[in-house]
Amino acid sequence: MPSSTPTPGHRSPRRPALAACAALLVAGLMSACGTPGTAPASSAAAPAVSTAVPNDKVTLSVLSSDTSETTKALSAAFEKKYPNVTVDFRFTGVDSYDTSLDLTLGSDSAPDLALLNKLGNTAKAGLIRDLGPYVDAYGWDKTVSASELDQWRADNQGKALGVGKLWAAPAGFSLVGVYYNKDVAAKLGIEPPKTLAEFEQDLAKAKAAGELPIQMPNMQGQSSYLFQALTNTFQGPDKSTAWAFGSPGSTLENDSATRAAQKVADWAKQGYLPSGANGTDGAGAMSAFTKGQGLFMFDGNWDATAVDKALPGKAGFFTLPGESATAPSTGVGTSLAYAIPTKAKHPDLAAAFLDFMTTPEAAAIEFASGYMPVAQAESVKAPDNSILADYAAAWAGVAKSNGLVPYFNNSTPTMNDTLTSQGQQLVAGKTSPADYLKALQDDWQKGHK
Amino acid sequence: MTAAHQQAPRTAAPAPARTQRAGAAPAAPPAGGLATSHRQRSATASSGRSGPRRQRVAYLYLLPALLLYTAFVIAPWLHTLELSFYRWDGVTAGTWAGLDNYRQVLTDPQLMGSLWHALGYIGFYTVLPIAAGLVLAAVIGRARQGRNFAVARTVLFLPQIVPLVAVGVIWRWMYAQDGTVNQLLDAVGLHSWTRAWLGDFTWAYVAVGLVGSWVMLGLCLVLFQAGIQKIDTSLYEAARIDGAGPVREFLSVTLPGLRAEIGVAVTVTVISALASFDVVYVTTGGGPGDTTTVPGLLIYRLAFTGGEVGTACALAVVLSLLISLVVLAIGRLTRERA
Repeated sequence: MPSSTPTPGHRSPRRPALAACAALLVAGLMSACGTPGTAPASSAAAPAVSTAVPNDKVTLSVLSSDTSETTKALSAAFEKKYPNVTVDFRFTGVDSYDTSLDLTLGSDSAPDLALLNKLGNTAKAGLIRDLGPYVDAYGWDKTVSASELDQWRADNQGKALGVGKLWAAPAGFSLVGVYYNKDVAAKLGIEPPKTLAEFEQDLAKAKAAGELPIQMPNMQGQSSYLFQALTNTFQGPDKSTAWAFGSPGSTLENDSATRAAQKVADWAKQGYLPSGANGTDGAGAMSAFTKGQGLFMFDGNWDATAVDKALPGKAGFFTLPGESATAPSTGVGTSLAYAIPTKAKHPDLAAAFLDFMTTPEAAAIEFASGYMPVAQAESVKAPDNSILADYAAAWAGVAKSNGLVPYFNNSTPTMNDTLTSQGQQLVAGKTSPADYLKALQDDWQKGHK
Repeated sequence: MTAAHQQAPRTAAPAPARTQRAGAAPAAPPAGGLATSHRQRSATASSGRSGPRRQRVAYLYLLPALLLYTAFVIAPWLHTLELSFYRWDGVTAGTWAGLDNYRQVLTDPQLMGSLWHALGYIGFYTVLPIAAGLVLAAVIGRARQGRNFAVARTVLFLPQIVPLVAVGVIWRWMYAQDGTVNQLLDAVGLHSWTRAWLGDFTWAYVAVGLVGSWVMLGLCLVLFQAGIQKIDTSLYEAARIDGAGPVREFLSVTLPGLRAEIGVAVTVTVISALASFDVVYVTTGGGPGDTTTVPGLLIYRLAFTGGEVGTACALAVVLSLLISLVVLAIGRLTRERA
């Protein structure tokens, strides 16, 4: 250390004290340097779990970025069922949620339950618990379908997804598909298409009649829904799921995905997509759609209740049809999922809440607030002629053919940014389908090496 | 001496890294330990010289500010510098990366592109508003009185008061497909020019840049307006007696008289151009494609969504060096001329 002491007058003859003082501080700081971060604590033997809900007054803290009413409504129902339990619902806007989540989970104010939008590094850092013991205790593997639970399975590194430990349990599923405006469809004499060819004929018919075939925002890269739905249709759900989960050897640089990307580019070129898509955000596109601009719109269930309100009885929903009428139906979606942090103070109570999500009572709440129920799907009923009825039918079809594919956007931490930037270029004709897919595959490779 | 050395690292040591983000300020060191060490050092340091005692006492007065500056500016910056040599996802243990992160910053076309974009924004954040501000200041001239002047100045300064995020949201609406800008174009019969400005590969960059110009114009105008007030009126009278027109007057009296203010305006606006984040993040998020990305945006993305804190810090270090160099150059230029 003394060797780093500057000779008085050496650097700045006029200000020796100041220079020395600064040097001292610098030296002090540099010597404090070390490898940043901490290695994850080696997990001790799995603690015994209990399915009993305590009888004394207790508070369950829930951290979430869920903007729908689902989590809040489930919390209220849980409080009603167990009057001694208070649910402390802590909301953070979705933009900052993911960026602050790991820090919150590592802090002493970690919640008992935390929403996971993606697995990221959270499991790898040892911040959340393996839910395996609770799966066994509550028998979730029997009540919830395997393909739905698998979305939150991963190895300890959080790299190979779809297998291994369960890190989060679903509280409701999202489903992306095609909204359609029944008024516009009736004017054009269009029925919901049964095959992809019919769908394309409808697009051409709308265009010829001067209607916008597909309303689509792309400011946040929503063209990825279109691309993924087409890819799922062309290569089937299994290959797409493998890619989304990062299974070794998966690639999108194949014929099916190339055809899908080519279709997106062609549709943009033919004017099937709005010319200002890249400069339009989700809210803008939805408002345009509800005003009759657009026959179809690729969107998720999170907008279902809003669309139903703006176009009561005038909006329908289906998942993008396959190449033949008998092809299995596929949908893009994932669950609103909750994990139990390692630092949770009431893990057993948190698990009881997760179990509550699989009950028929919860299924009704999940569905009413626009999410597809975790279990007991057959028990929910939607009002006739509402878009939710179409949603229920589409969800049943997807569940039946095991065709739910997780979002490509969550495949790596950076995939959403890549899909956004690349999708904007594809729609604007600034990149070729081949380069588009190469960029996605490069990101995938980087995230799964 | 030795005691002081051993104390320093402890007091300035960063908080446990687990809860710390890149650039987050470590807890302020307790003043006692450092103050003592400083006194010892300054006494020792000048023992061989005959500096006036008064001068040494003066440093004592600087100490509180220096400590705060160190805790909240220097220390986080050094921590950023340190992190830039690691491969770190922000949570789990990092590994030493040497200069890899810097190599990535200087070779990755996306990262380099963002630096070029930021340099280009100097045209919108600095050149345009200063030129417009000078012209406006000259036109409004030396008017001190009059309600109209006060209103005009307030209106033009308003963008400086509105938070940049709100500015971004407002302009995003205005630039939308059915926004104000397109409505105006429609109204004057230029329908073929309308477009979703922020989604256009050619125009998004310009559109975002003009938001910067709009924000900076008020600042420049107020600065120049204040500068003009202090120019000696006899200079204007002399110019007029010599037969100078308004243009000549502007070039020979107003412009030279505003040199210092122009220097300040250039410095401030160049820094906001290079360090821009808010407006870009809210309006385009860097799109369409990568046409409007700036280093600030990529630093945020790399650190908080990409889990590449090391690369983010390396880019931050490069950016701060670039800004320092540019500001240093501006300082040189304005000083030499004066």
